[in-house]
Amino acid sequence: MKTFLAWLLWIWISLVIVGAFFYAPVAENFRVPGSSRIVFFHVPMAWSSFLGFIGAAVWSLRYLLRRDPRHDRAAAVAIQLGLLFGVLATVTGAVWARIEWGAWWNWDPRQTSILASLLFYAAYLALRQSVDDPEKRGRLAAAYAMLGLVVTPFLFWIVPRITFSLHPEPVVNASGKVEMDPRIQHVLYSSGLGFAALFFWVHNLECRIQALSERKSAP
Amino acid sequence: MSSTLTWAAEAGTWAAEAAAVFVKEWRCEFRTRYALNTLGLFAVTTLVVVSFSLGPLGVVRSQGTSVLPVLLWIILLFSVAAGLPRAFVQEEESQTATALRLAATPSALFCGKLLYGLTLVLALEALVTPAYLVMTSLDVASPGLLAAVLAAGGYGLAAGSTLVASIIAQARSKGTLFSVLSFPVLLPLLVLAVDLTRGAVTGDPGGVAVPVLLLYDAAVTVAGLMLFPVVWNP
Repeated sequence: MKTFLAWLLWIWISLVIVGAFFYAPVAENFRVPGSSRIVFFHVPMAWSSFLGFIGAAVWSLRYLLRRDPRHDRAAAVAIQLGLLFGVLATVTGAVWARIEWGAWWNWDPRQTSILASLLFYAAYLALRQSVDDPEKRGRLAAAYAMLGLVVTPFLFWIVPRITFSLHPEPVVNASGKVEMDPRIQHVLYSSGLGFAALFFWVHNLECRIQALSERKSAP
Repeated sequence: MSSTLTWAAEAGTWAAEAAAVFVKEWRCEFRTRYALNTLGLFAVTTLVVVSFSLGPLGVVRSQGTSVLPVLLWIILLFSVAAGLPRAFVQEEESQTATALRLAATPSALFCGKLLYGLTLVLALEALVTPAYLVMTSLDVASPGLLAAVLAAGGYGLAAGSTLVASIIAQARSKGTLFSVLSFPVLLPLLVLAVDLTRGAVTGDPGGVAVPVLLLYDAAVTVAGLMLFPVVWNP
């Protein structure tokens, strides 16, 4: 069953790649219209990165309530994957910014807020590395993750109000409507689903690998 | 009636505990003057460096209004990072943390330490800000807004740093870890405070207002009160 699901995911993401290049139209109002195809990979990566953040917060809360080491491990792996997808989203975003805006980095509100969340993920991992006792590590890391969840939303709300943005409208724009070609929507949502599945699959694998290596190193 | 009395008695004990922690912090501080010396000297040194290289002759007035508020908050942030973590690190190093765990309830302890941090930060701001304004000849268009930003921003700095300090005190490599952990937490506060300080200097309030800063303060305080017992009690 698991092998079947993995194959299904492989086929799904392959179809998304094909759809991104042969089914969805390009955005004609862009400076380089073809560059809009990056949306099918860049946006799901950013979504997966936030999935890692939210997942870490949920698992941290569960750890604080139940003190089950599995939840602590799940939170840590979610942050690692969030960092990975966040770096990928930042890099793909920078490549696109170079093509459309002419500069890799220009402190656009989106770039600022994703950089801040990447700093947060990295700080969380640094904290975990500086505590040896597993129980204490879980406790402190979970508290820090919850603190991050309380504080970082401010950044996403404040920064766009201070500086002005060139970033294309979010998928659901300010008026609460989705203004996109339906074919672009089909591919984008399929890609988002595929990336989310990829996230949970890798998350599951990594948690199991870490559980095995912990059991192996235990006396 | 009796339940109201118990509640009042409990609140009284709680307040007494918080006050005792606050008084103890300052008494310990005056014995060594560690935080006061590091904070004060660090602030004055950076202040002199900044105002000497960017002072009245070094920066054009129009650039000054955008650059100088940033530097003021950077001086404050790093001074806080130099002195404030001490409040918890010293408890672990002198092995008094266990006694403190027995003596006070976590929330009262957190409030006492927070109050200590707040007075320290406010004293620092009272020392640094006038000197900074004088040395860089920065004219403030609305001093009231500046005072409000310093008070609300100072509280946010103290609250965020107190919680992060309690986390890093139990980890290895405490000094460096504090900067790493506190920066993402304090970043929204600094972005807000810098923007508002700019607004105070030019007399033109920006896109965000002081209430957002107060909202941040409230969020960090509530998070601190809820998370501190988990961090503190093994």
